[in-house]
Amino acid sequence: MTKLVEFTRTRRSGLSRYIWILWIAALGAAIVFPFVVDRPRFWLPNIGVRSLWLGIIAMSLVFLNRYIGLLSLAQATIAGISAYGVGYMMVTRGQGFFVAVPVGILAGTLAGFLVALIAARTKAIYFLMITLALGQVFYSYASQAIEVTNARRGLAPIIKPNLGFIDLGTITSFYYFALALAVICYLLCRFVAATTFGLALQGIRDSPERMSALGYKINRYRIAAITFAAFIASIGGVVLVFDRAQVDPNVVSLGSTLDILVVAVIGGIGSLGGVFIGAIIVTMLDNFAQDFTDRYMTLTGIVFIIVLLFAPAGIGGIGKQARRVIDRRRKDTTPAVMESPQQEPSAALPTDEAITKGKQQ
Amino acid sequence: MDQFLLIALNGLTLAAVYFLVASGLTLIFGLMRVISMAHGMSYLLGGYIGYEIVRQTGNWILGALGAAIAVGLLGLFIHQVLIRRFQDDDMRVALVTLGISLIGTDLMLAVFGGTATQVPIPKDFQIGLDLPVIGQYPLIRLLILAVAIVVGVGLTLFINKTRFGSIVRAGVDDSQMTSATGVNVRLVFGLIFLLGSALAAFAGVVGGTLFPLLPGQDGSYLLFSLVVVIVGGMGSVPGAAIGAVLVGLVSQFALVYAPTYSLVLTFALMVIVLAVRPQGILGRAS
Repeated sequence: MTKLVEFTRTRRSGLSRYIWILWIAALGAAIVFPFVVDRPRFWLPNIGVRSLWLGIIAMSLVFLNRYIGLLSLAQATIAGISAYGVGYMMVTRGQGFFVAVPVGILAGTLAGFLVALIAARTKAIYFLMITLALGQVFYSYASQAIEVTNARRGLAPIIKPNLGFIDLGTITSFYYFALALAVICYLLCRFVAATTFGLALQGIRDSPERMSALGYKINRYRIAAITFAAFIASIGGVVLVFDRAQVDPNVVSLGSTLDILVVAVIGGIGSLGGVFIGAIIVTMLDNFAQDFTDRYMTLTGIVFIIVLLFAPAGIGGIGKQARRVIDRRRKDTTPAVMESPQQEPSAALPTDEAITKGKQQ
Repeated sequence: MDQFLLIALNGLTLAAVYFLVASGLTLIFGLMRVISMAHGMSYLLGGYIGYEIVRQTGNWILGALGAAIAVGLLGLFIHQVLIRRFQDDDMRVALVTLGISLIGTDLMLAVFGGTATQVPIPKDFQIGLDLPVIGQYPLIRLLILAVAIVVGVGLTLFINKTRFGSIVRAGVDDSQMTSATGVNVRLVFGLIFLLGSALAAFAGVVGGTLFPLLPGQDGSYLLFSLVVVIVGGMGSVPGAAIGAVLVGLVSQFALVYAPTYSLVLTFALMVIVLAVRPQGILGRAS
């Protein structure tokens, strides 16, 4: 196992030697964001906070796609269930922040576990369809169960509380609260991926038969990974519910599911941090496209398809894609160099970042 | 008892519409191993085109044919331009078609508006038929049931008995060998995409005759046809028929006996089938 870690590290170090500078810059930009924009009351909620929760939920989708090769369309629903959990405890039960939030996260994670039990046996396109359908089960439940979800009218108002040490009621501190959660989620995903558990997941993604022969219970690993991703999505749901100040069936509709997918694909379906770029692009389109066209969805769809056709690794993967093209050019001009056996691992690289190709029998 | 039969018959006629939509989806999947997420859009677009043609000409059959041809050609265009290059990458096809349906939904809302429309039918067909036990039942619903049965039998024969059908099956099993024997496999797959989209559009005209056409239905019919093919077994036309009947019956009975949770129960059917038989009722195990 240690060998494998070393191998991964050496493989990455060449590519991402300077990537941390980019990360510090992005984080710095995110921190000073409230002070440099001209109209904070517009930018902070509409672009900032919204990008952050879209990004967190999309990150859970990317985590599943990158580390176990499954594309889940249930992440928006799981975030919605977490949001409903918070809303139910706060509005119907009259509980406070510190009761409602754990209940919400627990509800979302549990929902993810149930989804995993049903869907973990299936693969590729089946998994996509089943998670989509399960999401719609909850949508139809949410829009009808008047005693729990208050049907179409939803649960409101869900007020951002003053926690004493931080007043979430002011938009700037709520933005930092969301930013902190996003950073924690990102680090958590990275951490889990680097543990032996994460490495086993990647092994299962690449060759389930071999891992199964090595004695790994691959279904249990898949279920655990889907549950973990549900936990991340649930945190996104908590930010979502306080941002919207209410929760209604729209949160778990087909449209919201597609929003998350679009964010993940545009940002880069293989890049955990890229989702935030995708989220910013989508929220910007949403807010500014109206100025010159009514057909905002058409525009989003076109961007979505263009990204899929020309940059399947998304915006977050464009750098690597370009580098690969340059490498290939170089390979063509100096073929003798490429004969050395050290270059072998790079062959496995492209699949890592792009959309995991469905394997079907 | 007669209420029971009436619900069952309603369920069967609803199943007829579900089958028509799902048959196109299962046909494309069975032969190309990809899922077209734009299938719901083809349904709704077909319904709208059929509505316009029938309103202009007053001829229902012309409307159904026109819609099928127009949307079929659109499907062929989408396949040739956007899908063909990575046809064996099912995830990417699913995502690209999802993007297409995102655009289609928005454009249809712009062109046809948000109000409900229904495809008109000739006066002669707007009558009830006296059935034993049940009593009066709308003739048009029975006709649609018959149409669905004819289409289902026709499709099965087409795939299993004709030369084109055998070429298609060969292309699925080994496309390289098939093209080595001189068959233009790309053309065959394009034609299947055309046929699948045309079936969805035809289903749209049929469905638009029974129920109103509304924005958002593209999503719900895509979901229902996904549930139907998952329950029945992906790629199997008889499986789609069984799946459609089950989904139609469950949703209609649930609508009467547990109205609040009818949709939930319909999806619960899918979950149960998956738990017992992950490949669907008539699906081949992988």
